[in-house]
Amino acid sequence: MAAAITIQGLTKKYIGVGTGEVVAVNNLNLEVEEGEIFGFLGRNGAGKTTTIKMLLGLVFPTAGDAKILGKPMGDNAIKQEIAYLPEETYFYDSMTGWDLIDYYARLFRIGEPERSRRVKIALEKVRLQPEAWRRSIRGYSKGMRQRIGIAQALINDPKLLFLDEPTSGLDPIAHAELRDIVGSLRNEGKTVFLSSHQLADVELICSRVAIIHKGKLLTQGTIAELVHGERKAVTVQAPGFSNGMMPKLQAIVPDATHSGGDTVQFDIDDEERITAVIDLVRGLNGRVLSIVPHKRTLEEVFVETVRREDNS
Amino acid sequence: MIALAIAQQTLREALRRRVMWVILIIGVFLIALGPVFGFLSPKDSQTVLRSLGLAAILLSGLFITIVTCIYLIPVEIERRTIYTVLSKPVQRYEFVLGKFLGGFATVFVNIAAMGIVFLAMIYLQENRIPTEMFKGVLMTFFQMMLLAALTIFFSTFTTPVVNFFLSFGIFLVGNLSSVTESLTTKSNSVVRTAGVVIHYLLPNFGNFNIQNSLIRPTTEIANEGIFLRNNIIYAIIYSSVLLVLAILIFDRREV
Repeated sequence: MAAAITIQGLTKKYIGVGTGEVVAVNNLNLEVEEGEIFGFLGRNGAGKTTTIKMLLGLVFPTAGDAKILGKPMGDNAIKQEIAYLPEETYFYDSMTGWDLIDYYARLFRIGEPERSRRVKIALEKVRLQPEAWRRSIRGYSKGMRQRIGIAQALINDPKLLFLDEPTSGLDPIAHAELRDIVGSLRNEGKTVFLSSHQLADVELICSRVAIIHKGKLLTQGTIAELVHGERKAVTVQAPGFSNGMMPKLQAIVPDATHSGGDTVQFDIDDEERITAVIDLVRGLNGRVLSIVPHKRTLEEVFVETVRREDNS
Repeated sequence: MIALAIAQQTLREALRRRVMWVILIIGVFLIALGPVFGFLSPKDSQTVLRSLGLAAILLSGLFITIVTCIYLIPVEIERRTIYTVLSKPVQRYEFVLGKFLGGFATVFVNIAAMGIVFLAMIYLQENRIPTEMFKGVLMTFFQMMLLAALTIFFSTFTTPVVNFFLSFGIFLVGNLSSVTESLTTKSNSVVRTAGVVIHYLLPNFGNFNIQNSLIRPTTEIANEGIFLRNNIIYAIIYSSVLLVLAILIFDRREV
């Protein structure tokens, strides 16, 4: 499959007054394939938005290069085929939803009657109620504004979309609907570069993700690759944990802690130690109440990866 | 044309700013007061109305131009709407040009509105509309076009507050062209050089101030037609140069 985005050694440094040199993006190498929804994860200030802005030609890299749909980043020609939804954008709120999308369509030199047709399709696709189309954006809820934001990104039927936090701050229903809309873009063959803190959404709709921290790429891969391996939550009930059982248990599972009573809960991630624990508990006349497999989540992977980097 | 779409959008946004309406209403109110002041001084009623009207158009036009144009580009950056515009196939020069045309159209609408009220007041008082008054309004219009270009130029690299003081300051200095011209002939070389730089580099706003000669026919402008034509050409060329510089700066600016 061809690459929709190829980033090589992309670096952005800022010289701040009093802060000296700040590396916002540090030698980033990344490849996003056509037709995939790619999750770009990182904490606030990790360099996600700066990376997107460099790819769009809004800020200029200090070093490195990138190609978007086979053309150099910032090239005006590729803008016919891409779209961008910035995080928390204000839209001209004196305009109606229809007029706003019509304005953006004009920036693509789309003439009438095609323009009206496209505006209608975009508004329908984001499921904005038709009675709101001719209403001023000033009266829109946050969810409606986000829908309008996605509609402006769809007006040119782009091949590649950069979406920055499209579902943040929404109520659960709007959140789920917008997540489904973004997810459905894959079925239309579009590539989505999704920057988000909603890791459950990312896990649900993205095929691959990259984690960036302090401008540096920490890891990337498919969701399955990143969340590989599973832990098992073990609950053990045995009389008399205080009678010398805990030290023996902790010799096998150092993290095991006795929370009181005769029940102990802990996680183990390898089969051999599980067998050893079962043998130990049986030998002491205890009972293993449950062993529940627990799959790692993307959130856990993210937290572990970032903390590991911070501690290194 | 993309610049026209941006200009139309800019005009629409600018026209909903309350501060612009407040300045416009004050301007129209001052013009409408002309006949009242005229009654207080019946001998000079014609002069009072003409002076007050042209001065009101100039002052209101000045503040409308500055408060409108200093925000046109910074507000797009602050609200991040510029990202949704420049991520589309919009060249940066089209964006700057569209912003200028939108600001210019706003100034035009306001000066035209005040001009119509002014000419209507003159008609009510004199039962005719003298062509000199058209010329006065026209010169104010081109003066404001030049100021709009200057303000847009500064807005590509300064904050609105700095822009306000720079644009307003240069407008004041540029109106003192007779003073700055006198500096160019001083014997002190430093003063002379400063005078040359100020007089020839800064826009000569003073040349557009023809109100006195229009109001008092005793002070005639020699070759008035050529003078007006040259002023218009000067405003167009100077504004174009400022816009080219604004585009060059904005093209290298990170947003």
